Amino acid sequence: MLSSFKTIPTHMDYKGQKLAEQIFQGIILVSAVIGFIYGLSIQQFGWTVYIMLGGFTVSCLLTLPPWPMYRKNPLSWQPAVPETSGENRDKPQESQKKKKHK
Amino acid sequence: MNTVLSRANSLFAFSLSVMAALTFGCFITTAFKDRSVPVDIHVSKVMIKNVDDFTGPRERSDLGFVTFDISANLQPIFDWNVKELFLYLTAEYSTKSNALNQVVLWDKIVLRGDSTKLNLKDVKSKYFFFDDGNGLRANKNITLTLSWNVVPNAGILPLVMGSGHKSLAFPETYETAKSY
Repeated sequence: MLSSFKTIPTHMDYKGQKLAEQIFQGIILVSAVIGFIYGLSIQQFGWTVYIMLGGFTVSCLLTLPPWPMYRKNPLSWQPAVPETSGENRDKPQESQKKKKHK
Repeated sequence: MNTVLSRANSLFAFSLSVMAALTFGCFITTAFKDRSVPVDIHVSKVMIKNVDDFTGPRERSDLGFVTFDISANLQPIFDWNVKELFLYLTAEYSTKSNALNQVVLWDKIVLRGDSTKLNLKDVKSKYFFFDDGNGLRANKNITLTLSWNVVPNAGILPLVMGSGHKSLAFPETYETAKSY
């Protein structure tokens, strides 16, 4: 079962990673500010913690799985350079890999 | 941050740091509050006996019995940083052999969410009021004060004394009761 987890694609490209990091930092900071103000107004610290946990869950859902918005700028790999005749067999497999990334 | 696990790691660590900052903020908003409220103590009956005290070094010591009423409104103390209050009633006096004696007679735990209006009548002391010797008989000035220990969610645990105390005097002879 573990091998089937490993085959799920989970990568993002670099701009996508930066976007994901900005998104979760923003969500957590906003939910922290909202939680602090709400807890201060009703004088219960428990609600601050609940709002923070809610922000944590939302940012988990938004940034952990690799949504398509994080894959907008894929890296353009160079085409493989054929060195020997043995490489010709590897080429069709590489082009298949490229299609899977896109 | 290429794998799910490293993203999850940085997300979780960031959340914990922000949570720690929020807890510090909670502490800072209530750190300098004055947590004292007025307290009303009445004493209805005082009695004294001279009994064997097996915990002390001498043969017989004075044992006092005090029955009291307490009323106080603790609502202003509870804010978002207070988890519970530990109340205790202290008797403070001086005798010939010791300059300062303090004995805790009674205590109570008030949790957040419990009723905060304290209105107790005819309460007997929970703990023995033994004196270190025979200094309670005919002692004119014994001061009862109610103090509390504030247990916070985050920060320091201050000991606060309620404003309001009651002075009482013990009777001259043993085994007799003095009613107020």
